[in-house]
This record gives sequence, structure tokens and C-alpha cells, in this order.
Amino acid sequence: MKFLLSLAWKNLSRYRRRTTITAVALAVGVAVFIWMDGWLLGAELESRRNIIWYEAGAAKVLNQEYLEQIQNLPLKQVVEDAAGVERALASLGLEATRRAVFSGELFLGEGSLFVKAVALDPATDGRVFRLQETVRQGRFLQTGEPETLLGEWLARDLGAAVGDWVTVRARSRFGAFQTLDLQIVGILNCPNPVINQGTIFLPLDLADQALELEGAVSEIALAFPEWQEPEARLGQIRRALAGFPELAVADWQELARDFLAIAEGKRAGTGMLLLLIFIIAAVGISNTMLMAVYERVREIGMMRALGMRDLSIRLAFLLEAGGIGLIGSALGLVLGAALNWYMVRWGLDLSAFIGDMQVGYRVHSVFRSAWHPQALVGAVVFGVLASMLISFIPSSRALRKRITDCLRHV
Amino acid sequence: MIRPALAAALLLAAAAAFPQSAEEIVRRLEANQRFRTQEAEGSLVITDRFGSRTKTFLSYAEGQERMLLAFTNVEEKGQKILRLRDEIYLYFPEAEEVVRLQGAALKESVMGSDFSYEDLTGEKSLLDLYEVKLSGRELLAGREQFLLELKARARGVAYPAQKLWVDVEEYLPRRAEYYALSGRLLKTLEVLEVRRVGGRSVMSRAIMRDAMKKSSSTEFRVQRVKLDEPLPKNIFSLEALSW
Repeated sequence: MKFLLSLAWKNLSRYRRRTTITAVALAVGVAVFIWMDGWLLGAELESRRNIIWYEAGAAKVLNQEYLEQIQNLPLKQVVEDAAGVERALASLGLEATRRAVFSGELFLGEGSLFVKAVALDPATDGRVFRLQETVRQGRFLQTGEPETLLGEWLARDLGAAVGDWVTVRARSRFGAFQTLDLQIVGILNCPNPVINQGTIFLPLDLADQALELEGAVSEIALAFPEWQEPEARLGQIRRALAGFPELAVADWQELARDFLAIAEGKRAGTGMLLLLIFIIAAVGISNTMLMAVYERVREIGMMRALGMRDLSIRLAFLLEAGGIGLIGSALGLVLGAALNWYMVRWGLDLSAFIGDMQVGYRVHSVFRSAWHPQALVGAVVFGVLASMLISFIPSSRALRKRITDCLRHV
Repeated sequence: MIRPALAAALLLAAAAAFPQSAEEIVRRLEANQRFRTQEAEGSLVITDRFGSRTKTFLSYAEGQERMLLAFTNVEEKGQKILRLRDEIYLYFPEAEEVVRLQGAALKESVMGSDFSYEDLTGEKSLLDLYEVKLSGRELLAGREQFLLELKARARGVAYPAQKLWVDVEEYLPRRAEYYALSGRLLKTLEVLEVRRVGGRSVMSRAIMRDAMKKSSSTEFRVQRVKLDEPLPKNIFSLEALSW
């Protein structure tokens, strides 16, 4: 084995230029894979966090019919006895807050835009959501005041500023038209673009009165400690709410199905892209090994004539290809890790390219990567194994020839 | 000595000229707008901050419960809206699909106009939905009007309050204002033109304005109208939508 390893190493160093070019091609493939995988994982993790912190909480208790039509935000299907639900959940020690969510048209001056309006309880919202931390101008909401918070992008689209008055036209719980005059008291710059672009916030007690909610709410949002297994928690909540057959419990994954579908689609698309990159690298290795084998057919014939077994010769070529794979993968690992480090530390600000466009991920302008140790190890192992596998075909061809034909090969 | 028949006729005429109650005005107004069948050709001129666009249509109605609107302009040619009682169906020729509108979708605007699909539904009398009060008479474009104030009887009525100006002579609506729960004016409807068809008065040009959007209005024009004439068979059916 030691002899075969030394033979493979000698062959690699004998054709230094060819080895370098092939290893660099593989290195680029591995580096791009590590970079893109880390980027996608980072976007997914940040999206997940931004959905839980600003949009969905860990889970929500909602009316089953509301959940089925959640895209329409129907105020007719509500949680009637919010206090009763909170009492039932009290024994589980969960943090909870009430929200009423409805669609409306926001008017400011000559302009108007359709928005999602979230009526929240300023006193308890911070137990589940981190919206308060995203106020960039002005202040957070106060109970009982006719006021609103707007996302930065929405405020810019409307030309709105803190202190301006806006009017929201919406429907009451029973379907009657209602208008609410609200003063903008704060502008949010939320890391979740969905919040920044098309959502406004107002005090729950104000919406309760104006929209004839009579204590009912659209949802009771819940927070779980991060270490806790959500599945087990959901089971406990469902058992605690057995007395409310009209209600359903949905975790953030169910509430953000659009994001999960997009993330899955993007993963599949990126997988295809990475496969293409590897095919290109594999073609390079294959070409190098093909040339190496055909240049050395006479050498192979001589080794066989001197009594070297086919298996050993094949192993020598596999080790040579594995050597290229190892050099390329190691280079790719260093390059990919350096790129990933930059992306984890500083991220990439894509706001100039994507602007206010929603790309599916709940990430606002700066995309940061995450470390994915399995991908780092996997890329190196795959690079080495794939290189060895690719060399199998040309070496088999040479070994199929008779020794005399090999020696006569020109 | 006035003869009894003449006295009765005079009393009837007086009653007709000065109805006793707001309810009676509404009943006469609704009776005036009720046709066995109606076939019309017209257009909607929709204006918003981006400009104006015109949609032309053919409409058929039978009683208060069945109505078919078929768009004929190039962009929406073949699109149809069918109303059967309180149900609304849309047909899109390119998709060859019939969609039933329900719930929140009924609140959406018809082709970007100031009318919602919900405005097309509802065969109920105003008297079923609103308490009506006659608050006086007013002159509007030189014609005397009854001014009625309507307040919703139930909480589920889209416009909780309305004001309605009804022509004293023709018993046709001349203007309507629609209010939100807060009392804010939402929309206004103005009847700009009335045409005599077969001895009856029919609205032939009206404009709906969104009171909260200065540049938004939808003008409804009827170029041709036939009343109480037979309509094609099975026209108000889901099968006929795709014809």
C-alpha cells in the first residue's frame, strides 16, 4: 500500500500543471457549494427566526375556520372566549398575547394602499413578539390611543412620517364598513420584509371597539422556550384546549407554509445548480485521468509484465485521482470557508438589487450565511470519492487490453 | 256636491302626490325599479389616479334575483358575472373556468371599479335592511327630492347608514350617500340621466364616487335598454356561462 501511495504521489507531482488545473476546477466547485449552502442555510435560519419573532410566534391558537381561510383574514371567524383560552393554557406556563388581524385600505392624502392590519395588546405583545425593538422613529403603541405603527417601506411608499394622520377603511366583525383615523406614532424597520412592506399595527382595544369585536380576537399567539420540542408542546396545548372544539393550534411552520414551500423549491433549484458545478469539475477530473491513463498505457503494460496485479494498478490510479480530489477539495474547503466566514461575519447587502421585492425569504437586505459543518465535511468527502469513482472508467479500459497490446501502444 | 267616485279619485291622487311615510316612498321607489325582465347594453367608465378606462357590457336581468353581465370590450371580452339570488359566479374564458365568489371575495371590486361584487347581490328590500326616516325635501338640480335617512337594522349590513334623495315626481333615486359605522362618508351615487322606456323611467347614466379617493369614480352608462321582453332560454345557468 505504501508503494502504491508513493507511486500515486509521484505521478501527481510528475504532471504538476495538469494536477493543479484539475484540482483548481474541483476547488472552485467545492468552494461554491460551501458558499451557497451556507448562504441558503443562513437565509433559512434567519427567516425562521424572523417569522417566529415578528410574524407568527412559536404557535397560534385560532378558530379552525379562520385557519382554513387565513389568506383572507376573516374577522367573522374568531376566538370568542380569549380569556377562557388563556386560563386553559395558564397551567402550561406559556407566554401568550392576543391579536386581531384584518385587511384594510390605508389612506394618506391622495394615496391609498391595501394593508394587513394587526391590532395588538401593547402591554403583552412583547411576551411573544419583538416588534418593540424594531421601532426606528417615534415610539411603540399605547393602549387606548388612536395611533398606528407603520413599516419603513410602507411609510416610504405612502410618503408618511411620524405625526401624520392616516385613515384605515375596513370591515367590522359583522361586515359593516368602518373607518379608523389613526396618528402615526412610530416607524418600524423590521428584519422581516413582510412586516416592513404591508403591515400596520394599532392598539387592540381601539380595534375591539371600532370593529365590534366584543372581546373576541383572531388569534392568541404563543412563545415557547427555544430549547423546547415544539411537537410535544403542541400536543399539550391541544389537550389543554379540549373544551374548545372550534379552535385549532398551528405552529409557525403551518402558518408560514408559503415560506417553507419557497425555501424547499429554492433548495431543490440550488441542488441542481450544485450538481451542474460538480459535473463540470468531474469532467475536468475525468479528462485528466483519461489523459494520464492513455499516456501511460505502455507503462501499465510493463508493470503488468513484471507481475504487478491489475487490482494494484487500478488502485494506483484511484489513489492518484483521490489525490487530485483531496488537493482540490482541501483548497475548496479553505476558499469556501473563507467566503462563508465573510458572509457570516458581514453578510451581503442585496438591497440595491432586490429593493422592496419579496424573494420568499424573510430577510431584509443583508443576507448572512451560517456554518454548516456537515456540508463542509460532506463536500470534501464527496470531492475525494467522486474523483476516485470517475477515474475507474479510463483505468478499466487500459486494463482490458492484453499486455502485448499495451507494450505495443503508441 | 262632489260625487263619491270623484272624491275617491281625488283622495287617491292626493295620496300619490304626498305619500304618508318614508316606507311608502321606498316601496314606490322599489316598485318603479322592478321589471319582469331587462336587457341592456352599456359601459362602465372607470377613473382612478392612473387614468380612465372603459368596459362595455351586455346585461340581462330577470326579476330581482337573476342577473348576467357579459363584458364585450377587447380586454375582458367573454368574461361574465352571473348572479343567482345571493350567489355570484365569475367566468373567465381564457381559463374556461367558473369561480364561485364567497366570503371576503365578494368585497372585492368589480373590474377595478367603485362597485363591489357585494353591491350586485341582495334582492332584499331596503325596508328589510334599514329603518327609514323622511327627513325633508330638498332641491337637487332644480327638481324636488324626498330626503330619506336610512339606518341599518342589523350589524351585518355593509353600509350602516345611507342618505337617499328620491325624485318627488318620478320616484327614482337621484342621489345616494353611503356611510361607515364611524359616520364617515364612503361613497356617493349620482343619477345623471333618466330615460323613458316603454312608458317607464329608467336610470341611464349614473356615477359612483369613492368619497375617500378624490380621483376615483365609476360612471355607468346605458346605451340601449329593453324592458319586459322575453330573454334567451336558460341564460341564467352555470352551463350557459361558457357559451
